[in-house]
Amino acid sequence: MNRPPRWDEIERLYHQALELPVGQRDILLARAHPTLREQVESLLAADCKAELLAVPPTHIVADLLDAEGGGLTPGQRVADYAIESLVSVGGMGEVYLARDQEGRPVALKILRRHLTMSAQAVNRFETEARAASALCHPNIVAVYQSGEFPAGLFIAMEWVDGSTFRAIMTAGQVEITDAMNWGGQAARAVAAAHEAGILHRDMKPENIMLRKDGVVKILDFGLARDGGARGPEASSMGGSGTISGTLSGTLLYMSPEILRGESATTASDVFSLGTIVYELVARQHPFAGETRLDVFEAIECRPVAPIASLRNGVPQEVDRLILAMLDRRPEGRPSAAEVWELLRRS
Amino acid sequence: MAENPQGEVTRLLAEWGSGDQNALNKMMPLVYAELHRIARRAWSHSPHNNTLQPTALINEAYLKLANAQTAPFQDRCHFFAVAAKAMRQIMVNHAKSRLAGKRGFGLANISLDDVNPVIHQEAAEIVALHEALEALHAVDPRKSQVVEMRYFGGLSVDETAEAMGVSVATVNRDWRLARSWLIREMNCESP
Repeated sequence: MNRPPRWDEIERLYHQALELPVGQRDILLARAHPTLREQVESLLAADCKAELLAVPPTHIVADLLDAEGGGLTPGQRVADYAIESLVSVGGMGEVYLARDQEGRPVALKILRRHLTMSAQAVNRFETEARAASALCHPNIVAVYQSGEFPAGLFIAMEWVDGSTFRAIMTAGQVEITDAMNWGGQAARAVAAAHEAGILHRDMKPENIMLRKDGVVKILDFGLARDGGARGPEASSMGGSGTISGTLSGTLLYMSPEILRGESATTASDVFSLGTIVYELVARQHPFAGETRLDVFEAIECRPVAPIASLRNGVPQEVDRLILAMLDRRPEGRPSAAEVWELLRRS
Repeated sequence: MAENPQGEVTRLLAEWGSGDQNALNKMMPLVYAELHRIARRAWSHSPHNNTLQPTALINEAYLKLANAQTAPFQDRCHFFAVAAKAMRQIMVNHAKSRLAGKRGFGLANISLDDVNPVIHQEAAEIVALHEALEALHAVDPRKSQVVEMRYFGGLSVDETAEAMGVSVATVNRDWRLARSWLIREMNCESP
């Protein structure tokens, strides 16, 4: 009886199960042979996160055929800004260094032209502009203006002359006092956003920058939504506008409740921040794993090693604080304001 | 042959319709070249119109290549099947060349976003999807064709059903299972 299930058996049971309400599927599946059941269950699980193929390939075709990586050329004008150089290209579009009329540098984020055909992408872009402009804080990148120009949508933002936390960690070891200072500044920004009812939802080292003068700036409120308005899409981790957001988003900074598909709360941001601070201080990621499944399991249930076991010189209360931020129960975590308070004093 | 792709495609469609599988192989490069040309032109001339919808591209290629006025309706369906395959090849080829670094961006000052994880992401996903589809083809060719037509060809459920000669319900069921199957396949492969 250990032959692999036949494809037509899998197909039949899969469609039978789909016709049933979710709660009743288990009863149907329980009657099937274990190997068949396993096959169908994994397919049904995949069906739930069917973001795959949701974005028309139009966008990809356009992107791939677009001869220039960045569509805008130096000197070209976008509203009142003159393009200077291409800074980066991401899934959603490009970021340029540009100058305003007084010659001051601004970061100009462009939603790729072809992506303006996708209502979802436009919505996300506009949400980012709105959320960030609602926040006025020294540790959050300021949004000056957003709007439309012939080739797409743009957001003009504060230019940050510095590096992302990711680049800093890649470049070498971070001093413990620096890590605490930067973590504290980031916590302060997150606390301010939470105070304003806004969640970040996508905190990761790529989204936090250190300016050359030592000021931390949080950017990319692309997934941010008002704290009160939580849709079913809260669990969709995609921020990329690519074929399959679910497949491509990094799991490494997601809280266990987000991985389970629950709504994000302020505590979810604290967890993500805790992961980042842990990585800065301990010099290794608390949930590192070979595969996505390993990472998933690590976040769900692997014990987090106290930082003292990895690096000397970390104050005990800071070690405790970071572990508390990584508490699997959201209610067990400190608030961002408490994190900021403690790191400031340490 | 290249001098008159229109006559060529019309003839090949007829031959294919009467059972000559070889005609398909001969038609592919012609359709590929035409789609590629149309896509490039559409994009460079008017970047924010909708002509990059795969169906629009395919329709234009059809009008150009086949004798649309006199060709039997069945030929149109066959043409769409070929064109979806060609679209898939175009996208996969572009994705691969992008991954191979032919489109370097030469960024000197990367500070706002970390480029490397995302820059190749779209391309990598196209290739991953393409490979997963090939694996699906080995299990169930019809389902992989449904995805090819719906996704790469941009055809609606109705058009896909027509082109494949199956019912709308079958296309819907195939599409759903294929999607789950592909997600599972791609999830296992990409950490």
